Amino acid sequence: MASVNNSKNLRDSDIQKKIDHEIRMRDGACKLLAACSQRDQALEAAKSLLTCNTRIMAYMSELQRMKEAQVMQRVARRSDGTRSSDAGPMDDRLPCKGKVAISDLRIPLMWKDTEYFKNKGELHRCAVFCLLQVGGEIHDTDMVMVDRTLTDICFDNTIVFSEASPGFELRVELYSCCSEEDYSAGSAPRKLASKLSSSLGRSAGKKLRVAMDPGACSPTSNAGAATLLLPGPAVAGPKYHLLAHTSLSLSHVQDSFRTHDLSISGNEECSYWVPLYGSVCCRLAAQPHCMTQQMMSGCLKVKQLGGDPPSWRNVYGVLKGTNLFCYHRQEDMEANVEPAFTIAINKETRIRASEKDPHSKAQSICISNQYGGEEVTHTLSTDSREETHRWMEAFWQQFCDMSQWKQCCDDLMKIELPSPRKPALVTSKQGSLYHEIVIDTSDDISTVTDILTRRMQELELRSQLGTSPPWMSLFEESPGGPRTPRLARHSPRSPHRLPHSPLSSLRCPWPGLLSSDASLTSDSDSPCSTSPCSRHRGWAEPLSLSSPRFRPRTLSLDAKLSTLRGRGYGGVLQCSCQPPSSSSLAPIPAQCIPQATLSCSSSTSSNSSSEGSHSPSSLDGTPFSRPSSARRSLRNLRAKLDPRNWLQSQV
Amino acid sequence: MVEWEYNNYLMVVKVLNDFLSKLDSQCSCVLQQRIEIRKLRQGEHLILGFSIGGGIDQDPGQNPFSEDKSDKGIYVTRVTPEGPAEVAGLMMGDKVMQVNGWDMTMVTHDQARKRLTKKNEDVVRLLVASLLCNTSPFVQTEFAI
Repeated sequence: MASVNNSKNLRDSDIQKKIDHEIRMRDGACKLLAACSQRDQALEAAKSLLTCNTRIMAYMSELQRMKEAQVMQRVARRSDGTRSSDAGPMDDRLPCKGKVAISDLRIPLMWKDTEYFKNKGELHRCAVFCLLQVGGEIHDTDMVMVDRTLTDICFDNTIVFSEASPGFELRVELYSCCSEEDYSAGSAPRKLASKLSSSLGRSAGKKLRVAMDPGACSPTSNAGAATLLLPGPAVAGPKYHLLAHTSLSLSHVQDSFRTHDLSISGNEECSYWVPLYGSVCCRLAAQPHCMTQQMMSGCLKVKQLGGDPPSWRNVYGVLKGTNLFCYHRQEDMEANVEPAFTIAINKETRIRASEKDPHSKAQSICISNQYGGEEVTHTLSTDSREETHRWMEAFWQQFCDMSQWKQCCDDLMKIELPSPRKPALVTSKQGSLYHEIVIDTSDDISTVTDILTRRMQELELRSQLGTSPPWMSLFEESPGGPRTPRLARHSPRSPHRLPHSPLSSLRCPWPGLLSSDASLTSDSDSPCSTSPCSRHRGWAEPLSLSSPRFRPRTLSLDAKLSTLRGRGYGGVLQCSCQPPSSSSLAPIPAQCIPQATLSCSSSTSSNSSSEGSHSPSSLDGTPFSRPSSARRSLRNLRAKLDPRNWLQSQV
Repeated sequence: MVEWEYNNYLMVVKVLNDFLSKLDSQCSCVLQQRIEIRKLRQGEHLILGFSIGGGIDQDPGQNPFSEDKSDKGIYVTRVTPEGPAEVAGLMMGDKVMQVNGWDMTMVTHDQARKRLTKKNEDVVRLLVASLLCNTSPFVQTEFAI
């Protein structure tokens, strides 16, 4: 009894600490708001203020719920005389918690044509952000400025809620604030504050004061209950208003983008109005802990088929996700060696405890799966009854989790953790492109210009899509190399994208190179009569020889960059810009790349097995070394830079 | 532990199974085997008689053989009829995991090709994984390394 109280006290003090922290944050935001003069700073500070207030409210209500639960329990115990914990084990089984992540929020806008043609001189701008809440966890997205040049509001953030139950409710709220208001308006904020204080003081404040009366809360909270609920002192500054909201739950979870409806509050007359289309697109993924963590592990004995008396094989079993991995030994599992075999534990699996074996005292567990039309049964046993009981418990818990988390247990959904480093080139139109790009000093001019043109293409596309370009990952320390899986997420977006005309807006000082970039891939198609290319034809889609002058970002561009990264900038492009000695082409910087590819076509198709022996580190090694046969490496380069063909080599 | 608890498990597991929605379960049984290929001399070249595709620098979405379309491993895309690879038992669609002890799951396409075509090696010993469907998983225990 005492221990139960202690844990509750601990939780109380946890929440109290969180409330204190948020109050301090709120005070800081208020001070900042009062002190700052810049509009952007004021908007950011007001956003922090709103978030802090919402968090405080959430913690308060959680505290109240806990108090209520405590009171109810006390009452129940007194009247019943029995303890609730006496009920059988079946009643207490709770599904595991999981991670829920929401990312790539995009809210389409619907401006009226009158907006476009209104020549008011100044754009009507609003600052918007989203508040996302699961239970007591509240996160806010970054702030985005919205005006009539924007077609969608995009929030780049990925927000992860770490401990969500399967019955979670993710509340998405969109707040907006007009960014042209006069912040020093005297009466309005004060009126609002006084209204709020009186209304809260009367009803909710009283409730909370009563709730916090008995128990282990700190003495100060009692007196400050009413004042805590005020949205801070009446600070003059921008105020955000709720523009739209929606609620997402487990049924909305899917491993791809989905569109949901928004409930819009407010109308055109409000200053904070932004014409929303009425829906929100996002990717809501969930990773229940049963899929990512080891739920159970231990030594098992697996019955081998055939033989009489049946023999048993000792394995080390690990229950994780929808599989029971059986390793030879525990050390194998720790060393990440492949398991000896894997038994599926999924919705189709049936597990039963078999009759007691007359020889051994322990009961065995039979796991049946359907493979095609056949039923396959594995029989497992352990050394003791307790072990068998624990395994059955684990399987039972797994079934419970899978029934609660439903579609999240079919396959593990990927959740990308938000990278701690914020890319600085978000929407900054100031600053030169030059100081934002990392260029190796050994690169020569065409490499630089190539990188810059690509960079500008990416920036244009990025402003349309509102996401950070995947090649940003090249500059991050990612152990697995460039993260091309991110590309797959962008493909569903393309139908929503309005057609853009970047040609006019692209300020490219080297138009020649831009076309050469396109021609790099198209030229690789033209000399297709040679065997190196035809060999690669196996799985390629039909190639279009008339590539547009400005290619929309496709997988090939990023794969191109990733191959560049993999080989070092200098090594690959350097050899393309210094034409082979045997070629009679003059090196013209702006056109050296297409020239290099044309020279490739003249090279004979040497058997690739002979390449392996010569200069094995020609392209993998130092970026400064010139390969002994430039033609051969050029052909490799061309083939590698055009991964529309999935490269195949004969050995 | 009480006897009746196990019967409870029977009943409850059955009930839970009934609640759960039906879904097609996929079988992914993988057969791992070691294949030794003796290179054949053709003129001044040593050939193995198969083609590979894949690599960490390639687009994994275009791999027609991989189960997981983000798998950047090296796959056998073609086997020359009656060549050394076919004779040794290599099949189209096999994933090459190791070559003479060298890992092939995290290599570029070119690195993979080079590891297979070393001029001073007569024999390559591959560890390959083949996807089997609709077979008893006990097959794995017999062939597992």
